[in-house]
Amino acid sequence: MNRLIAWLAPLAIVFGSTVAAPMVAYAGSYELTIGESTINVSGSDKTALSVNGSVPGPTLRFKEGEDLTLNVTNTLDVDTSIHWHGLILPFQQDGVPGISFEGIKPDTTHTYRFPAQQTGTYWYHSHSGLQEQAGVYGAIVIEPKGREPFRFNREYVVVLSDWSDEKPEAIFANLKRQSDYYNYSQRTVFDFFRDVSLKGWKKTVADRVDWGEMRMTPTDIADVGGYTFLVNGKNPEQNWTALFEPGERVRLRFINASAMTFFDVRIPGLQMTVVQADGQNVQPVPVDEFRIAVAETYDVIVRPREEKAFTIFAENMARTGYARGSLAPRQGMSGEVPDLRESPLLTMADMSHGSMQGMDHSSMQGMDHSSMQGMDLSAAGSDPFYAPGSGLSPTAANGGKFLSYADLKAQKPLYEDREPTREIEVRLTGNMERYIWSIDGVKFSDAEPIRLKYGERVRFAFVNETMMTHPMHLHGMWSILDNGNDKWNPAMHVVSVSPGTTVHMETEVDAPGAWAFHCHLLYHMAAGMFRKVIVEGGPQSAQLNGGALDEQASL
Amino acid sequence: MKIFFSRNLAASVALTISIVAINVPSTLAHEGLAYQDFGEPGDASNVTRTFEIDLYDNYYEPETLEVQAGETVKFIVKNGGELLHEFNLGTVDMHVAHQKEMRMMMDHGMLTPTGMNHQMMNMDHSAMSMPAMKHDDPNSVLVEPGETKELVWHFHTPIAVEFACNIPGHYEAGMVGELEVKQ
Repeated sequence: MNRLIAWLAPLAIVFGSTVAAPMVAYAGSYELTIGESTINVSGSDKTALSVNGSVPGPTLRFKEGEDLTLNVTNTLDVDTSIHWHGLILPFQQDGVPGISFEGIKPDTTHTYRFPAQQTGTYWYHSHSGLQEQAGVYGAIVIEPKGREPFRFNREYVVVLSDWSDEKPEAIFANLKRQSDYYNYSQRTVFDFFRDVSLKGWKKTVADRVDWGEMRMTPTDIADVGGYTFLVNGKNPEQNWTALFEPGERVRLRFINASAMTFFDVRIPGLQMTVVQADGQNVQPVPVDEFRIAVAETYDVIVRPREEKAFTIFAENMARTGYARGSLAPRQGMSGEVPDLRESPLLTMADMSHGSMQGMDHSSMQGMDHSSMQGMDLSAAGSDPFYAPGSGLSPTAANGGKFLSYADLKAQKPLYEDREPTREIEVRLTGNMERYIWSIDGVKFSDAEPIRLKYGERVRFAFVNETMMTHPMHLHGMWSILDNGNDKWNPAMHVVSVSPGTTVHMETEVDAPGAWAFHCHLLYHMAAGMFRKVIVEGGPQSAQLNGGALDEQASL
Repeated sequence: MKIFFSRNLAASVALTISIVAINVPSTLAHEGLAYQDFGEPGDASNVTRTFEIDLYDNYYEPETLEVQAGETVKFIVKNGGELLHEFNLGTVDMHVAHQKEMRMMMDHGMLTPTGMNHQMMNMDHSAMSMPAMKHDDPNSVLVEPGETKELVWHFHTPIAVEFACNIPGHYEAGMVGELEVKQ
């Protein structure tokens, strides 16, 4: 059967199949073609950018230790690239134009070569322009040589993403022109009068003045609107369905391949046991719901015992939409789809005091903080990764357990625990009104690279001075999240930092060369929330030879 | 209070129905059973069979066992992993109930992912009108990393039960095996 598929696969690539199918291995060699194709998930045919004709692209299945040859062909008339998100590899294979290599020119094929050094669930996507938003993404599964510390009878890849009928360049232009372009739920005069009846005139007017002076609105949770949310490339009506036999343990590899969307994932009626985060085994945590930030992955085990359809429900954090699939005994079945919950409102707790540096303090004397007295700081969960009283603090829809970063403990620590050799503070900054996002107040095009030394253990402090959540991604090296679990602190590749909080992570600097480091919200990255990280020293052969890639990365 | 009562209650319920249940074919998910339904702590001098069970993070080796009703079995349980694990003989429902108890013991700090807090477990809880929250069910052993413990059990009835680890998350991740007691 495999040989038959091996014959058909090249035909499928040539004729552009629109079904996401597992890639067949030509003894460790994989062919990917980036091009245009038609997608219909929002009611009419639109043009997407795709890998091998499908959105998402094919799931790449590697074996631990396999020497990989990945041939990526560009049929677009602009440069492209593929970045292997979460993979440890020589920096020249990382796929970031201007940092790892020159990019893939139109009508050329670029060959990546590196060994698959790790196991777990990862993903790949374009690192050129805004192509990731247009459909250039797919899953990576690296199978271990030995057995895993958990059991399952079958597994599925669940790629969550966001599709817009607007061209990504148009979305970005809209955001630059008017940053609240997509905020459809501005507070209205009705909200004003309702608040007056609840809190009185003085408090309501003061509240509006406070927010107005910050030039922010508490309803501003998501930058971009008008998305259709997808599960493995299918919209909620198309209902991507995974089959199971009652009593089986099913492994679901959730990947957030979206450009801008945080999803709260639950399967009503079914508890999920989290066994991997960002591809790394964690001590199993049974939960009812979890939030998956942009670019993160979570592997869960579920054990449906009833012969019925369950809904896989991924509600966006702003509560303006959802992705939906099903777990069912047969195709064509579907479970009840929950209603969207009420949209959260940012609170004063989400406003970090760091962001007040640039503000006119005299106008703040009159700020009425008395409305904060009544704030129930103990309510809405006690997740330490949200500011106390935050409007974004998640609670499980069924009143049960919502996963927190604090729950993640490495099953088997990747690195020995040791004291960091240096601390670096990274301030996450931005000017929402002008849609400029930056690090330490400086956008990428004006910034110096961050320089690290091979062999260091650097402790990063991400200080979020904005009112948005930023999933920070360092390429090439692990981010060991400090969630208070000491030697069991989990290794991740994306660390999501909520408004008004400071999150620490440590990195063993063991990958020579030049690496990208950025907020994984695509339009934030494009607006400047990006840095080049240079690792000096290390094995001679692996070092960055000065000059070759010192020009600006093209974003 | 709750743990103590439920054990007694379960035992008295089990005593009542066991008289009726002798000729009922065994099924996997009995309702409201306690360990007394399928056996009792065995006498070490009567051991007719010995199994070596290895605990890893998070699974057993082997994962299926078979014994004869009437046998006294010695389980030598060795923890080759880095986390605390349990070897507990029982039915699905018994394990679900025990998972809640273990969760409570973890929340109270008596158990950590890697070991037992022996001091806390021996604390006199009577002043708080709580029973001694020791982990001393005879059908179960808690084994710290690197340790080996023994459990001797006399199976008196044909039944299909599970041996499981009820540390939060481990059962759900698949740390459970099947033990069939044949005629």
